[in-house]
Amino acid sequence: NLPFFITCLVVLKIIKHYQEEGQGSEVVQGVLLGLVVEDRLEITNCFPFPQHTEDDVDFDEVQYQMEMMRSLRHVNIDHLHVGWYQSTYYGSFVSRALLDSQFSYQHAIEESVVLIYDPIKTAQGSLCLKAYRLTPKLMEICKEKDFSPEALKKACIGYEHMLEEVPIVIKNSHLINVLLLDLQEKSTVADKHELLNLSSSNHLEKSLQLLMDRVDGMSQEIVKYNTYCRNLTKQQQQKQQYLQRRQQENTQRQSRGEPPLPEEDINKMFKPPQAPPRMDTLLIAGQVNNYCQNIKAFTSQNLGKLFMAEALQGHSS
Amino acid sequence: MSRFFATGSDSESEESSSADEITPKATGTTFSKHIVCCPLRFRFEELTNIIKTIRNAMKIRDMSKCLEEFEQLYRAFLKSKTIVDKEGVPQFYIRLLADLEDYLNQLWEDKEGKKKMNKNNAKALSTLRQKIRKYNKDFETEIVSYKEVLNCSPNDEESESEEDEESEDWGSDSVDSGGESEDNEGAAASLAVVFLKKYVCFNLELLSLFLFDGFKRKRHKKMEQVDEEADEEGEGEEGGWEKVKGGVPLVKEKPKMFAKGTEINNAVVIKKLNEILQARGKKGTDRSAQIELFHALAGISNENNLGEGILVKIKFNIIASLYDYNTNLAAFMKAEMWKKCLECIDELLDILFENSNIFIGENIAEDSENLAISDQPFRVRGCILTLVERMDEEFTKIMQNTDPHSQEYVDNLKDEGRVCGIIDRLLQYLESKGSTEEVCRVYLRRIMHTYYKFDYKAHRRSLGLQGETKSEQDQEESEGEDSAIIMDRLCKFIYAKDRTDRIRTCAILCHIYHHALHSRWYQARDLMLMSHLQDNIQHADPPVQILYNRTMVQLGICAFRQGMIKDAHNALLDIQSSGRAKELLGQGLLMRNMQERNAEQEKIEKRRQVPFHMHINLELLECVYLVSAMLLEIPYMAAHEFDARRRMISKQFHHQLRVGERQPLLGPPESMREHVVAASKAMKMGDWRTCHSFIINEKMNSKVWDLFPETQRVREMLVRKIQEESLRTYLFTYSSVYDSISMATLSEMFELELPTVHSIISKMIINEELMASLDQPTQTVVMHRTEPTSLQNMTLQLAEKLGGLVENNERVFDLKQGVYGGYFNRDQKGGYQQRQNYQRGGYRNQNQSSY
Repeated sequence: NLPFFITCLVVLKIIKHYQEEGQGSEVVQGVLLGLVVEDRLEITNCFPFPQHTEDDVDFDEVQYQMEMMRSLRHVNIDHLHVGWYQSTYYGSFVSRALLDSQFSYQHAIEESVVLIYDPIKTAQGSLCLKAYRLTPKLMEICKEKDFSPEALKKACIGYEHMLEEVPIVIKNSHLINVLLLDLQEKSTVADKHELLNLSSSNHLEKSLQLLMDRVDGMSQEIVKYNTYCRNLTKQQQQKQQYLQRRQQENTQRQSRGEPPLPEEDINKMFKPPQAPPRMDTLLIAGQVNNYCQNIKAFTSQNLGKLFMAEALQGHSS
Repeated sequence: MSRFFATGSDSESEESSSADEITPKATGTTFSKHIVCCPLRFRFEELTNIIKTIRNAMKIRDMSKCLEEFEQLYRAFLKSKTIVDKEGVPQFYIRLLADLEDYLNQLWEDKEGKKKMNKNNAKALSTLRQKIRKYNKDFETEIVSYKEVLNCSPNDEESESEEDEESEDWGSDSVDSGGESEDNEGAAASLAVVFLKKYVCFNLELLSLFLFDGFKRKRHKKMEQVDEEADEEGEGEEGGWEKVKGGVPLVKEKPKMFAKGTEINNAVVIKKLNEILQARGKKGTDRSAQIELFHALAGISNENNLGEGILVKIKFNIIASLYDYNTNLAAFMKAEMWKKCLECIDELLDILFENSNIFIGENIAEDSENLAISDQPFRVRGCILTLVERMDEEFTKIMQNTDPHSQEYVDNLKDEGRVCGIIDRLLQYLESKGSTEEVCRVYLRRIMHTYYKFDYKAHRRSLGLQGETKSEQDQEESEGEDSAIIMDRLCKFIYAKDRTDRIRTCAILCHIYHHALHSRWYQARDLMLMSHLQDNIQHADPPVQILYNRTMVQLGICAFRQGMIKDAHNALLDIQSSGRAKELLGQGLLMRNMQERNAEQEKIEKRRQVPFHMHINLELLECVYLVSAMLLEIPYMAAHEFDARRRMISKQFHHQLRVGERQPLLGPPESMREHVVAASKAMKMGDWRTCHSFIINEKMNSKVWDLFPETQRVREMLVRKIQEESLRTYLFTYSSVYDSISMATLSEMFELELPTVHSIISKMIINEELMASLDQPTQTVVMHRTEPTSLQNMTLQLAEKLGGLVENNERVFDLKQGVYGGYFNRDQKGGYQQRQNYQRGGYRNQNQSSY
């Protein structure tokens, strides 16, 4: 998987967008613009989707995007629609909505990616920007729109294989590099680093809460699936019994020399129960995995800090 | 028979006697006027009146009116069934039926006209048509004969149509013309009927009809002459006929109660009384005039010294007709009527007290009444208790229908004293004369007027305060025993003697209410528990349920005053949690759309309302509930902050809290609810002073607390409760911050004595609410710090949830195995459960090892 390049401008614009419009658990979204150069993607610009309320019916999103891109072309900016970005709240982004829209992007332009920007982590000092694409397997499934348990089993898809992360390289033009270096000399902030700060347990609590919520969702899905399985088994049994009876009767009739009973459509009599779609479960599993990764990263970092602090204390005393 | 249909006199006149001669004796009955002719005439008058309106409605094509009237006619006809059976179906009735059917059919055919009709009319037309078709089947023969008469004699028809017009304004027409036209038709009809009965042969009938026609015409002339004569004679004798309205012939004669020179004795008066009574309940009877008639009669009987028996009888009737005055059950008496009614009942009671030899009762038959003055005691039919009960209900109705914020209400309320007085007198009377059942009923009335009043005298007396001035003291003494003693006596009598469940239930509830009102909490509670009313009150009728709700609320408020916060909360929970307290207490209707409640139901509900002066203050109720909820809920919330399965004690209180939180701009509290919410917030922080200042201040005093009789005591109790609960909340919330805390500090912080603090903390430790121990020598609380932090709590929850998830997952796995390996089919239960147990155990082991 080749990394793709992204300019500093895009990053700053995304951050700015969230700062201005996003708050709390609200997410902001926007369009990424760029070019495909030698089967490598370069993202050079972006623009946000405007916030609009649901009762604002007149607003046409597609119209707006087209208009925006045309305007950008006039000022000689890359206008190829290569993906979209979205902010996230404590790493919760694996959802049906994301899946659907990314599918439609990828379906139209194969190279499209989704950039996930985590403002909370970024606020803590480490820029968190990740790019994802749907795996070809998932693309196949989505194309067929068949989320039944059998189809998923056949496709051999697990939550691990749903999204693939694409490495990002932030690349600037030389002019910008020069500017940055110039700024670095002037800036006064960078001296003090709160390296040992145990970022508050608030973060952990929030993550746990969200995780719990998803685990609940998972339980529900499993219960649903469980009932389905049980119903299916019961019906299978009934069907079997019915067939047996039928056969017995037929043999009796044969022995009496009567014609056998006419064949009936067995599927009509025993309509198999509606299988619950399994895609949601997959998504939840993916999300849970995501949270776990987050928590793991967070705790290991903190543990490391704790050990370091302990060692320092022992050393000084 | 037809002679008397519209003649408007009951006293004898030449006319009627002459009519007797002329009228063919179709029915062959001879009747003495007073007995038979009264009901006959009334019934038929009623019918003719209705017929008149129907004909009018037909003229203007008002079908809905027609239908309405037809239904009335039908009912009226049914009522007069006995007479009809005796006399045969009146011809005018048949005529109407036939005409109406023809008319309807004609309308029905007229498609254009039908289209023009509005919806109501069209609908009424079709229903009416169906009805009359069905109905006319019963009278088929009569109608056919009538129609034949019409067809065969065009002349006759003509004349009849003339008469039609005449008869349409019978009411306003003079008596004789009405009589005359009536007579003709009637005679013709009856003759026709007779002929029909005798000769089935059509030809013969025709012949007879022709013959009859001629005969009738002759007779007609003769009749007129006679009538004129009669008229003249009448004028000569009685000084002019009065023109009498068709509907109310009796009333106008009122001034002439008895003919001159009649000897007024018992029999005559009773007869007259019965005569007046006949008109009772009839349509078109002038009810106010009837009342006056009774009064006049009472006056006459008084003048002539006919004895108390008859007077009592008349009084009974006056009161009854006063009640009758409003036909609508929902309407209430007018003020002057009400005054009259009160006076009458007072007088009646006077008479009854003065004369101990009068027996009254509802089971004395009319025949066995003894009204004349004789050696035997008077026996009068009538029930004074029912009258007084009705009066009480009327009083309630008046109060319900008066605007409670007007001076009028106050004026009306002043009558309450008189009502009570009357009930008291009746009580005395019945105690000596009535049966136990009656005594129970009157006792209940007395209780109903006592239970909701706070006995200030007794309250003052119990406080040991004497009346300030001498005169007041005298008054106090003269006013007799405490209401508590009265209640006790009356209720206990009912408990012992009553056989109907309802009276006893009401008495118990009132008794509890009275106890609760006077802060006798334990008596009230015990009585409530002993009565087991909670179990079966839902089967009672709505008024009793309302009383029950009122009692529960009063009980709750009483508990609150006594500082039993938990009991108060429990008692009020049911009423408050529904959010329909107003409706449940019968103190007003909730705004609801018409789908849920139609007009009829609304009327019924309105009738159940409790009059304003008996209302329980809803704001007080809500405040008491919210404050008790606050005192219970806030420490509970603090104690179970991290508990995932925490239950709410009071949903309503939480609702109020949420409402408070949702406010974008938090100003100083205005309403009572806001005060409580603000106080709760302060209490959450353990800040009892702020909490106190929110609960008890000028505004809250005037709104709520001053409504209690022992305001000061309640306020003191409340402050103390706030201090205690704040202390508990503080310890729950901040125990994790402390390693140890000195009890002296706590007692200083919450201004509680050291022993109290000690006891509260000890209780918390014993109940395992607080993980701490007391260090006696230093008087400090040492925290054990075993409470998990919020993060730990959350992790525990997560672990639990994951456990559930794993379990569910296992089940799926089991099923899979069952399907593929036949495992499930072999031994379904055992294998499955074994596996479950094993898994659970394993999971737990894992858990323990990871801790």
